[in-house]
Amino acid sequence: MSLAAEAFVSQIAAAEPWPENATLYQPLREDQILLSDCASSLAVQAYLRMCNLPVHVSCRSNAEYMSPSGKVPFVHVGNQVVSELGPIVQFTKAKGHSLSDGLDDVQRAEMKAYMELVNNMLLTAELYIQWCDDTTATEISRPRYSSPYSWPLNQILAYQKQWEVRRKMNAIGWAGKSLEQVYEDVSQCCQALSQRLGTQPYFFNKQPTELDALVFGHLFTILTTRLTSDELGEKIKSYSNLLAFCRRIEQSYFEDSQAGSSSRGYSKGPSLF
Amino acid sequence: MGTVHARSLDPLPMQGPELGVHADDIETPDMEQESKQEVLENKDVIVQHVHIDGLGRTKEDCLTYEIAGVFRAKNLIDVMKRAHEARQKLLRLGIFRQVEVVIDTSQGVDALPNGLDVTFEVTELRRMTGSYNTMVGNNEGSMVLGLKLPNVFGRAEKLTFQFSYGTKETSYGLSFFKPQPGHFERNFAVNFYKVTGQFPWSSLRETDRGVSTEFSFPLWKTNHTLKWEGVWRELGCLARTASFAVREESGHSLKSSLSHAMVIDTRNSTILPRRGALLKINQELAGYTGGDASFLKEDFELQFNKRLFWDSVLSASLWGGCLLPIGDKPTCIADRFYLGGPTSVRGFSMYSIGPQSEGDYLGGEVYWAGAVHLYTPLPFRPGKGGFGDLFRTHFFLNAGNLCNLNYGDGPRAHLSKLAECIRWSYGAGIVLRLGNIARLELNYCIPMGVQSGDRICDGVQFGAGIRFL
Repeated sequence: MSLAAEAFVSQIAAAEPWPENATLYQPLREDQILLSDCASSLAVQAYLRMCNLPVHVSCRSNAEYMSPSGKVPFVHVGNQVVSELGPIVQFTKAKGHSLSDGLDDVQRAEMKAYMELVNNMLLTAELYIQWCDDTTATEISRPRYSSPYSWPLNQILAYQKQWEVRRKMNAIGWAGKSLEQVYEDVSQCCQALSQRLGTQPYFFNKQPTELDALVFGHLFTILTTRLTSDELGEKIKSYSNLLAFCRRIEQSYFEDSQAGSSSRGYSKGPSLF
Repeated sequence: MGTVHARSLDPLPMQGPELGVHADDIETPDMEQESKQEVLENKDVIVQHVHIDGLGRTKEDCLTYEIAGVFRAKNLIDVMKRAHEARQKLLRLGIFRQVEVVIDTSQGVDALPNGLDVTFEVTELRRMTGSYNTMVGNNEGSMVLGLKLPNVFGRAEKLTFQFSYGTKETSYGLSFFKPQPGHFERNFAVNFYKVTGQFPWSSLRETDRGVSTEFSFPLWKTNHTLKWEGVWRELGCLARTASFAVREESGHSLKSSLSHAMVIDTRNSTILPRRGALLKINQELAGYTGGDASFLKEDFELQFNKRLFWDSVLSASLWGGCLLPIGDKPTCIADRFYLGGPTSVRGFSMYSIGPQSEGDYLGGEVYWAGAVHLYTPLPFRPGKGGFGDLFRTHFFLNAGNLCNLNYGDGPRAHLSKLAECIRWSYGAGIVLRLGNIARLELNYCIPMGVQSGDRICDGVQFGAGIRFL
């Protein structure tokens, strides 16, 4: 789509209010979804909850292919389809819902820098562990990723995905890293986040922003997902303020509505504490 | 031995019916030259030897079936007739560039006085032939490379490979064909392919990678094909603006299906027939041999042609089909039927009839379409006997309907659903026959029965196709 068309679409989008039947699409929760997709999906859900925008979660085995960018999650709002956190934030902003309006330019730049850090470190580390660690890839990622398909398509698609991720790791120079180095990177990233958070309730004091949603999505998912080794979760658990941060967001944005309406579709497996 | 004149017969003419004439013609000059000449036409002869000269890699055993008939000839005319038949059979194998027949008296110690030797002088095709061409169309340019290995293992097996590299899509196909020696119509083929199709009427892109094996054989007056196909299908949206209903169908699926096709074709030509009928029945069962898609698909095509006054032909066709999903899964957009366009229900845009969502046509699970044509030669018959015979004018009336089945309703409700809201149109136009495989049509159409959501083509419509209603 051309820039002009995109601008036009966002103009139209701005004119329409947020509909009741907005839907978020993600892969099958029980059998298919992987750590990195689950984290991204949770981040978007957290963001929309922080904006107080209702969204129904729908699980589809072909969510990845339905998405216009090929990445999950994506939301279907009215007749618009928007994928990934960044564009979704832009999209809600066009509709007049924003969490970062109260920030000044310096803070906004800082927020963007930290979001990049999370995407470059945590997301990449998740992808690395899923697809480049042979044990995890064999025992968890490939069987789960290919679960909706029959033989021999399941094998083809799983290896195709693995190959694609490995090629990306090659391109960004992660292919030569060992698992220990990746854990060390995660640890450093958490340390940076922990220092930035300090004793505040959210990264930018009282109000949550999209950075909070993103960090929550990744950390909470890492903490609550069982992998072949617990080491990734252990790295995070050594930062108590990050744990408290996750718990705070879970309590304020997820627990109340879970009791109230199950139609919100959030039923994350194990709770944090 | 006065059989020298038989020699002058070579090479045999291409056309069969001329054979007899030739045989008669030859008698006269030879009779004058040699007084000892005997008329062999009705005399019994014995074909003692049949030789095939010029064989390189072709195995002789598979050719013996083709030429066996020659040995059964009882007189000279018969020899020539049968030799001609054998020649046609040899050419049909598609492994010889040229076949010539020489008939001579037998030589050597065991030669009988009325013995004949028949020699086929063949020129084999090259081991490998290649082709290269470029195509432009559909906002896309592509380069097509083709390789053909006729007669790979010496028994008329054929291996073909085609690779198309386009600005948008790449596709390829590799196929291996093997006829049963002596029964060319009984053959076996294996194909590997990748094809990509873009369907703008559905905002859909489909990439198929598959393997299929098929076995064809004639049975009485019919031709049957049994086929197994395993296809990995990848569906995607053509544009970001595709409707959500199409978006929901995106992704990968695996279809493994067994199908059977039966054809009875008594028409004199496939493109502009003057007489005869065609019946095609196709059935496909997917899901029992694995894969994600499970359905039963039935499809038929019927056509009658009757010659009327002044070289005009009345033609009537009927198509129909239904798709039944097996299990709980709904049918896939790639399996459903589509209707409309310049070679099916004219007066409507390409595949733009029936269920749709936001302007994207989703296809239907059951359909029928029928047409009546009156074909006449061009007015005042310009170019008669030549170029003008490739053209016909036609008047047509066609109708059809396409809908989804709601399985709770029962067959009676489905039939009434197909009978109401019929789409129909009429018009006239010019048809051009392209070789014996395709035709072009330029029509003026007047769509009449139009339902909301259908995209019509009121007025001039141009179309090309190999299958037409």
